Amino acid sequence: MKHIASAAALLVLLVAGAAQARNIDLVTLPPRDTVQLTIYNSEDLTLVRETRSVTFKKGANRLEFSWANTLIDPTSCYFRPLAHENEIEVLDTTFPQDRPEVLIWNVDSKFEGQVPVEVSYFTSGISWNADYLMVTNAAETTMALDGYVTVVNNSGEDYEGAQVRLVVGKINLVEKIQQLAGVHAYGGVDLNGVVQEKAKDLKTDALRSTFATYDARSGGMGGGGANALAKQQQREAVIVKEGLSEYFIFTIEGWQTVKTGWSQRMSSFRAREVPFDVLYRYRPHQYGDKPVRFFILANDKPHKMGDSPLPDGMIRVFRENGRDGLTFYVAQSSKYIPINEKIELNVGKDDQIVYERVVLDVGRQNFIYDENHKPEPVVVGWDETRKWQEEIRNYRQKPIKMEIRHVLPGDVTFGMEVPGLKLYDFHTPEYTLDLPASTKKKFTSDGTFLLGRNMKQNRVKLAGQ
Amino acid sequence: MRRNRWLMGLVLAATALAVWAQPAAARIKLATLPVRERVEIQLENENATLVEEERVVTLLKGTNHIDFSWTNTQIDKWTILFRPLAVADTVRVINQSYPPGENALVWEVFADNAGPVKVRISYIIGNLRRNFSYRATAENSEKTLTLRTYMRVNNYSGEEFGMAGVWGGIAGIFQKEMGLQEAKEILVAKFAEVPITKKFIFNWQSGQRVPDEPNQRYVIMDYVLKNEGAKGAAAKPAAKPGEEATTLGTFPLPYGKVRIFVKDSKQPPNEAFLGEDWGQFTPIDDEMKLYLGQARDVKVERTVKKNDRTAIHGNLFSQEVIVQYKMQNFKKDALTLDIEEDMNALRNEFCGGGKDHEASWELLAQTTDKSKVERKSAQKVEIHVALPAAPKADEKKPDEVKKPDEVIFLLHLMFKNEW
Repeated sequence: MKHIASAAALLVLLVAGAAQARNIDLVTLPPRDTVQLTIYNSEDLTLVRETRSVTFKKGANRLEFSWANTLIDPTSCYFRPLAHENEIEVLDTTFPQDRPEVLIWNVDSKFEGQVPVEVSYFTSGISWNADYLMVTNAAETTMALDGYVTVVNNSGEDYEGAQVRLVVGKINLVEKIQQLAGVHAYGGVDLNGVVQEKAKDLKTDALRSTFATYDARSGGMGGGGANALAKQQQREAVIVKEGLSEYFIFTIEGWQTVKTGWSQRMSSFRAREVPFDVLYRYRPHQYGDKPVRFFILANDKPHKMGDSPLPDGMIRVFRENGRDGLTFYVAQSSKYIPINEKIELNVGKDDQIVYERVVLDVGRQNFIYDENHKPEPVVVGWDETRKWQEEIRNYRQKPIKMEIRHVLPGDVTFGMEVPGLKLYDFHTPEYTLDLPASTKKKFTSDGTFLLGRNMKQNRVKLAGQ
Repeated sequence: MRRNRWLMGLVLAATALAVWAQPAAARIKLATLPVRERVEIQLENENATLVEEERVVTLLKGTNHIDFSWTNTQIDKWTILFRPLAVADTVRVINQSYPPGENALVWEVFADNAGPVKVRISYIIGNLRRNFSYRATAENSEKTLTLRTYMRVNNYSGEEFGMAGVWGGIAGIFQKEMGLQEAKEILVAKFAEVPITKKFIFNWQSGQRVPDEPNQRYVIMDYVLKNEGAKGAAAKPAAKPGEEATTLGTFPLPYGKVRIFVKDSKQPPNEAFLGEDWGQFTPIDDEMKLYLGQARDVKVERTVKKNDRTAIHGNLFSQEVIVQYKMQNFKKDALTLDIEEDMNALRNEFCGGGKDHEASWELLAQTTDKSKVERKSAQKVEIHVALPAAPKADEKKPDEVKKPDEVIFLLHLMFKNEW
């Protein structure tokens, strides 16, 4: 981890009996062995877990943990030994009133010697997001699909050689980490004054030299060493996905360097020759008065995916234009897509497909009257028959399939000679029409509306069903 | 590439890793500057312009950092693609990162071998747009016209592309100099001898009233041309003005303004401006209609000859209506007039306005010719009436006035079950 103007540091205070010097410390600086970032994209939250080796003496040990110019939530700082757990216990944690961004763990140890320990804490300012690149072939039958994750670091801290894990899912927080990071652990006001800055700088300077030594020795955090790092750099980092409770964790293989202020984009998966279907949909209540084109595929094995859910993110769709170049179709945000879920990508309206529906004829019958109305009886109920004509004009050079939803309010009986006619919901017949390349075709359908007092229901009934 | 002024640059940084570990503000670079070898501007998507450029970068064996940066241009940095060409997997993009506070990104690329590699970089750029326009020149006979399609490219992107391939989604790719702050109008295609029909339309509801004639409306006229031609003919771009044109029907005609001219009868002919209209997107085999204006040599008078109500029960009734159209054609050519009627509006005229249901109607016997009445929908009816040409003046009696014959058409209707 490289430090520029900030630091999160663990110091072992050499305690000389009960009488402690107030302003003069003698400390050792155990270097960080590993660091792991677990970044949540649903909240501004990152769990940092770092391991260090600390040498304990028997009896009371004081450990000071400090952070400066970072967005660490002090209430989340946690210390635990990774060995001799039954012999080492944190007795209390002290947040000194006069030294913000510092805590002291008083640790009782029955063991003497070096012990690996883990320090974990929440920080804000690091986020990640997913995005996707789709490039279809010219015939629009298969596509190359690339998924990416981008880690954005605005935490004020450089993270080098860190293991990065990304959490897909929505967690619950009752307070924002960024707010907690700005509040003293006692609940007091943040003391970001000049005096405190000077105090921090002293620690920071001391730490820098330590970490500089460490970096040179190990070739970066994570303990992988120069050889491993060099090997990793010959190819993209592989992202390993695993499910955990209701969440999914993407672990980026190897060790990553994300400097503060930078964003880093990495490939999360690649799928090639992914088959997909093109489906036109006409749903004026949902997509407007023109048919829209969808690319339909699924996050499953037949589509060469399905290893993990696809986090929500922007999908950018291109098409190979058949002239050794690309055509840009659309950029569309996608919701979270679980494994085996369908992916329906709206690539917009297509001017070469025209759909028109008109009422071709209207008739009325079965009148009922309010005979008591003066001066004459009036119509209070009747049936109305409508004949619709739908015309689809396919100006494209390939056949199309169009799915139509026809919302009909009221008490309606709907009939159409088309295979697969069904009700999408209580007032929406749904049917799919096929059209060969470069053709125009007309379809007719009928509806009988029971209106006024004739209306007994609010639903569509399919004729003959 | 003038990096210091409007720079959009690709920098191959021959630097050690340690140099890249510096803070963003202190990125020290020793760089080679690969120039663009080929640029193609994809204007097919009217909402987003894609630029694809090819450069040859000389890569070191091992890790290379390629820095792509831009100033004074609106590049969507998340759309930038980097693709090595024809090197299989010997050149791999390890990752890409975005430095803070800069319009730049850095690709970390690993090469198995040292040497030059051609790469293609694609990105969406702003303020580089196109629109289409047409110039239609009709022959004096108004039977055919010559249609020129132009694409106007406005380059306010802040970038100078030099000689670039420009693709508008139709016809071919045009190699053009695309200078900074420059607009260029490109002749995309020229279609000669395109057959046109002239449509004359009378619409009582939407037509403009004739002064002092409450029963008359002006007739309007359209040119109609069909986007069809020899099937299978490849689209041929008219790269040079005046080049012999291809035929229609090889690509959809995009939306754009059409300026319409007509040749007079002089030799050589002069051109007169007839008007302009927005030509709608016209797929292959579909029609483009161009509104020309009013045809004041066609006179139509609409009167209602019958308006009888028959009570059925209570407030339920039927309404019998006869609408008479009296027409005269003062033009020297015969024509077909299309009379458009909105049946809901017509019903509201005689059955009381503000109905919340559609008109239910049928044609009755006194209609002049039912075969000429086309039911477009329950609401819309079109009547096609042939009008003869105005009589020619008698050479022996030039002062004798010969008025055109009046053509009468009756539309006999029953609006059923109204209340």
